[in-house]
Order: sequence, then structure tokens, then C-alpha cells
Amino acid sequence: MDDYLIGVLSNIGIVSFIALSAYVLLLTGEISFGQQAFFAIGAYASGIATALWHWPLAAGLAWGAAAAAAAAALVGVPTLRLHGLYFAIATLAFAEMMRLLFELFHYQVLIDGELVGPNGAEGFRNIRYIFDNNIDATEFLVLVYVLLSATLLGFSLLERSRLGVIFRMAGEDEVLAELSGVAVGRYKVLAAGIAGALAGIGGGLYAHLTTYVEPRIFDVMLGVHSLAYGLIGGLGTALGPLAGVLIDIGVLESTRWFAGYRMIVFGGLVAVLLIVRPRGLLDEVVVRNIGKAWRRTSPLRRHEKQGQP
Amino acid sequence: MLEISDLVTAYGKIEALKGVSLQIAGGRITCLLGPNGAGKTTLMMTIAGILQPRRGSIRLDGAELVGLSPARIVAQGVALVPENRLVFPQMSVRENLLAGAYQRGDKAGISADNERMYQRFPRLAERREQLAGTLSGGEQQMLAVARALMSRPRLLLMDEPSLGLAPLVVAEVFRIVADLDRDGTTIFLVEQNAHMALQVARHFYLMEQGRVTFDGTPGELAEDEVIQRAYLGTRRATT
Amino acid sequence: MTDFVQNTLDGLMIGSSYGLLALGFTLIFGVMRRLNLSYGPSIMVGAYLGTFVYVQFGASPIAVAALAVAGAVLAGIYVERLCFAPMGPGAGIASMVSSFAIWMQLEQAAILVLPRHTYPYPPLAAVAPLMLGPFMVRLDHLIMLVAALALSAGMHLLLYRTRFGLALRAIIGNPVAAHLVGVNVRTAMLGAFALASGIGGIAGYLVLAADQQVTSMFGMWATIKGLIAMMIGGLGSIPGAVLGGLLLGIIEMHGQWYFGSQVRDLIAYFLLFACLVLRPGGLLGDAPVRETAAYGRRA
Repeated sequence: MDDYLIGVLSNIGIVSFIALSAYVLLLTGEISFGQQAFFAIGAYASGIATALWHWPLAAGLAWGAAAAAAAAALVGVPTLRLHGLYFAIATLAFAEMMRLLFELFHYQVLIDGELVGPNGAEGFRNIRYIFDNNIDATEFLVLVYVLLSATLLGFSLLERSRLGVIFRMAGEDEVLAELSGVAVGRYKVLAAGIAGALAGIGGGLYAHLTTYVEPRIFDVMLGVHSLAYGLIGGLGTALGPLAGVLIDIGVLESTRWFAGYRMIVFGGLVAVLLIVRPRGLLDEVVVRNIGKAWRRTSPLRRHEKQGQP
Repeated sequence: MLEISDLVTAYGKIEALKGVSLQIAGGRITCLLGPNGAGKTTLMMTIAGILQPRRGSIRLDGAELVGLSPARIVAQGVALVPENRLVFPQMSVRENLLAGAYQRGDKAGISADNERMYQRFPRLAERREQLAGTLSGGEQQMLAVARALMSRPRLLLMDEPSLGLAPLVVAEVFRIVADLDRDGTTIFLVEQNAHMALQVARHFYLMEQGRVTFDGTPGELAEDEVIQRAYLGTRRATT
Repeated sequence: MTDFVQNTLDGLMIGSSYGLLALGFTLIFGVMRRLNLSYGPSIMVGAYLGTFVYVQFGASPIAVAALAVAGAVLAGIYVERLCFAPMGPGAGIASMVSSFAIWMQLEQAAILVLPRHTYPYPPLAAVAPLMLGPFMVRLDHLIMLVAALALSAGMHLLLYRTRFGLALRAIIGNPVAAHLVGVNVRTAMLGAFALASGIGGIAGYLVLAADQQVTSMFGMWATIKGLIAMMIGGLGSIPGAVLGGLLLGIIEMHGQWYFGSQVRDLIAYFLLFACLVLRPGGLLGDAPVRETAAYGRRA
């Protein structure tokens, strides 16, 4: 596989994490324009862990995810009473605050005669773990997709579990959920934490792949993109956001002649799509119908039919 | 005056109106009774143009209303006093009435009608600069009726005017309805309060689960045992 | 003390432009109950149109202003037709995200046509600053303040003395009832959008003329400032928009004076966040209501 393809695929995998992060919150009925904040926290935290504290990659990524999850849960508490529009803008405000805080954040350590670490607006260079440890591009790609697959497995378990039902209940109608005895607040904070962790993993992977992050990357554009992926690809399944990522990065990125017009096309596409399918391509209805069709053609049923006179 | 044929209105897959047909004759009060969820409000909203039916027709003196925007339907002379009144809360009583005359251009006529409303509804006159959101339920109901009347409608639709009001206020509302009837206004009234409706309406329909299940005079309604038990709460001794 | 008053004065000036931006924003929100994230970018389209004719044809400030406003209005109508008109009542989220998608589209389109980071704008009043005692006031800033006050007053007159204004207030009060009294809601909404975009266009022109340049970040800047000012003042409140803008301007000026410009922006966002958490209705707006099926419509 050539380097360019590996690069695109890695990109798709990493962005999927932040798309899934926004998706978790969408499930509970909330829009977040701010998941990039936790992506950033994951990037910085894991970068600091491996580059400054010499932790192994796994520990660094876990630390990044944990830090992001904790931050997300912490922010989730004061914003519990906010809904819809107000919540969305609060997430925007928070994410921009984080970005500006990172521009003021300096934490440098002398390593081998060189200053390494986050340096405000200059960013955080030399997150060289994968190079120092001879992990090549393909191996990293595998890592990304192993983590992504595990995440998708987690989602499929979630969809079947009581927790998943509770999330969707809260997303449909929070007051009704509360009246049914669900402690909605606690679950929303949990959802926020999960979403934060996902974004944090993505951020950690991103930081190590590109070896350099700066606050400017984690802007509103990133946040709203991650939201748009779920809304385009569909909210019926975790594969929906991935479909959205694939459409944006995969199709538009690789068709070179689109390059200068990518946002014009993507933007227009999103607008038109939202008119026709406000819940995305793979929305709940489509997913249910696919499920029904699948079960109808399952080998078990065919066998039953053959047994009939 | 109003002829509804085979009207079907649906919310997604759920049909709220399953082929409703009825006629509203001019110059009198026709009442539609029915339990909650029967589709009465859906019918009103469809006539007013807020909802679009899947099938069927609504003709006002022969002119088709289906497919027209709500504003055009008002222009045709139909005014709806909606369920839950829906006054403009941040506007004063006076401004609400003015809004009711939105499509009219005759300033003198509007002024005159305004005064007429204050005479007919003295409580509104007392509160003409008060914000509509701060009025009591009964006062809001008066306002909603007055606002609808400001457009000088040919057909007045009223969706559950007695909803949520105390008995004394309900009596007042129906007094007004009777007054309007006396003045010759054509009224299509949706009600759950069958007792009060029986005192003013000249023709009755009953709607259950999206279908019309009764079409007749007040006398026939009072005679029908099933309806007696279900909606009028009385039971006639079987002879 | 002099510094304090000077900063407050400067804050009022820049705050008046924030107020105008918030005015347009809040008008759209009040009427449509949805947030238009393409607001800043549509103003930017107008602004770029203005700078284009200035650079290419040396157009006069009046022409530049007129085109800036016209461009903003046209872009606003485009956004309304694509992102808001076709959506049903429940699609507030879809509209908001759609408007963001068009934000990206408009920004990239503008940058493609005019790729440099910054372009010149004709100055509003190229004279020396006025001195009011020990305090310095720039004439173009003063014009901005006067324009903001005039536009707000004009807005008030429009809303309370014209038929169109009555229609808008009816829609803001209760959209279904507005239909029922015969307001042509779709046309009125389009009109509100055009009006809001026009006000934004004027605000944008004033800011850029005072700055004498327009940068590619302008769309984002206008949206964010307008958003913060609107939320502080209270969503859907017109006097709130102006008040929020002035307040934001003053706080920003003081913040910048004592802590520098990065912290200034940080303070602005923090203000927004705190406002939302503590008092989401803002200074003059209503507290948000929860949509739920449980109680019929609102909790």
C-alpha cells in the first residue's frame, strides 16, 4: 500500500473517533460543537506522557483518553440544565476557551539538551514516540483500526444494552425519561465522559501520527465537522458517522481536482442532504428496515421455509 | 357553506383523519363532538391550512381550500379560534385585535370593529393595554374569539373554547357563542362539553378515531343511547 | 481613571458594532427560532464584494457600502432558501448545521475569489481623532455608535409601527397563531432574513471601514461576536442585543487593556459560558423552555 493511501486511511480512522464522540452526544439528544476540546486534551495529554514523561504509547493514549473523559464529565455537570441551542453554544464557548488556554499553556522540559513540550501558540512539537520506537506507518494504521474496531464493537454492545436504550430515551424526550424513573442527569454526564474519552483517543492518535499539534488545529471547524459527519451519515447506527467521514475525507480528499473547492462541494452537499434526510443517510428508519430485511433473508428462516409443505 | 369530502390527514404513517366527510350549513352552529385523540383538532388545523391533507377536499361555497396557504384561507373568509387560544403573549389586547385584522386595509372599518369588540367583550375593553400573556384563561379565550372576528370571517371555527375554563367562565363563553349565532355568524364548533354544546348547536357530528360516526340533529343525539352513556353521562331507562 | 473612562468609551464604540451584529442575529432567531451560523459569512460575502469594487474600480465609500449591504442581503437570502425555508418545524438542528455547512461554503468561495489574507477598505472618516477633554474619540467610531443607535431606533419603529413589523412580532409571539390571523409567514421570514442581513451588512461595513481592511477571518469574527453579544443580552430580545453588544465591547476593552488580546478573547468566551450556565436567558431574554411531549408542549 502506498504511503498516500496509508495516510488517508489513517486520517479517516482518526477523524472517526471525534465523529463518534459527537455521535454519542447526539444519541442523548444534545448537539455539541465542542468535541474538539477533548480531542485537543487527548492530544496534549498523551503527547506530554510519551514525549516528556517517557511513558509507553499505550499508557499515553489511555492517559489522554482519561484526561479528556474527566474534563468532559466535569463540563457536563454545569451544563446539565442546558438543552438544544443553549447547550450547543455552551460547548462552542468551552471549546474556544480551551483553545485559547492552550495558546497560553507552556510546559517544557529539557530533554537531551532540547526544550520539549507545549509552547503556547507555537504548539507542541516532537511527539516522536512512533519514530523513536520504529513503528512504521502501516503498523500505526493497524493500531488505529484495531482501536476503532474495538470501539465499534463497544457501540454494537451499547445499542443492544439497557444503557443504550436509556441514552436513546433521553435523546427522544428527556422529561418523559425522567418521569419513567431514569436519573437522566447521571446518564448525560456518563455520555459526556464516554464522548470525551473517544475524542481523547482520537486526539492522542492524531498527535502521535503527525508528531506536532498546535492550538489552531482544534478550532470550531473541526468541531462542527465532527458533528456534521453523524448528521450526514445517519444517527441510526455508529456506522453512520463513519459513513460521513468516509464521504468527506475519502471521496473528496482523493479526488484531487476537487481540492480547492472541497468545502464548497461538501458544504452544499450537507445542506441539500439535510433537506432531504434531516436524520442522515443511515437514520433509525433505514437501519430498522435493513435489520428486517437481513433477518428475512437469514439462513435460519430460509431453512424454516424449506421445511414447509 | 363548507363541504368536506373524504378527508385524510396523516402524521407520517399514522392517519389521524381516515376519510372524513361532513357539511357545515351557513348561518347556524354545527358542533363536532368526540373524545380526546379523535382527530378533531387535526380536522380544524387541516381546514385552516396549517396541516396538509393526503387526500380529500374542503370546499367553501364551491371554492377548493386544500392546497392553499393558511394566509390565503384566511383571505377566503375562514378564521380559527384555536385550541389553547394561542394569543400573542407579548402583545397587548389591542395589538392582538389589530393582528386579527392583519389582512384588512380599511382603517376606519378596523377601528369600528375594534370598538365593537370592546363593547361585546367588556373585560377586554378594561384591559386593552395589558399584555395578553398575563390575562386569565377566560379572558384569553375572549381575546382569541375577538381576534378571529376582527377578520370579519364568513366561517368561524372554534376548537374547544371551553377547555380548561371554570364553569362560570364556560357559561360566559357560550353566551358569546349564542350571541354570534343570533347575529347570523356561521360557526363550526368543536367541543368535548356536550351539555353546553346541546344548548347552542343545531347540527351535530361525532368523531371517533378519525371517522365520523354520527350525523344528526340535537334531538337524535339526545335519543342515541350509546352517545348518552359515553358523552352525556346519563342513562335512559330502557322502556 | 482616565484610562478607565477611555477604555469604556472605546468599548462602547466597538460594542455598538457588536450590538448591530447581535441585532440581526437575534431578529433571525426570534422569528425563526433557529440559529443562523452563516450570518457572519454572508456579511463577509458583502464585505468582499465591497472590497472587490474598491480595489478593482476605486469605487467611492458610498458605493462600497451599498454593495456590501446588497451582497450581504443576497447571501442571506441564499442561506434562507437553502437552509431554513425547506425545513419543517422540527428541524431546528438540521437548519443550524446546514447553515454551518454553508458558512464553510461561503468562506471558501470568498477566499477563492480573493485569496489574500487582507484587503483594503476605504476609510470612513480619515480625520484626526476628536478630543473630548482628556479623552480621545475617533470620528469613525463615533459614526459607528450613532449608526447603531439610529438603526436600533429604526428597528423599533419598524417593529411597532409597520404592518411588516406586526407580522414579525406575531410570528415571534406564536407562529401558528400568526398563520391563523393571515400573516404570510414564509414571505415574512424571508423578509426578516433579508432585513437582518442588511443590518449585518451595515455593521460589517462600519467595522471594516473603521479598520480600513478586511481579513479572511471576518466571517468567523462577526458570527462569534454577534453570537456572544446576543446570548448575553438575551436570545430574541432586541434591546438585549444592543445592550449585550455594548457590554461585551466594554468588557473586552478593559480585558485587553489589563491582560492583552489573547486573554481578551478568553474573557469573552468565558462570559458567554458563564452566562449560559448561570442565566441562559441572558440579561433581557426569557428563560429557555423545554420542549417535551409529556406536558403537551412545554415544561
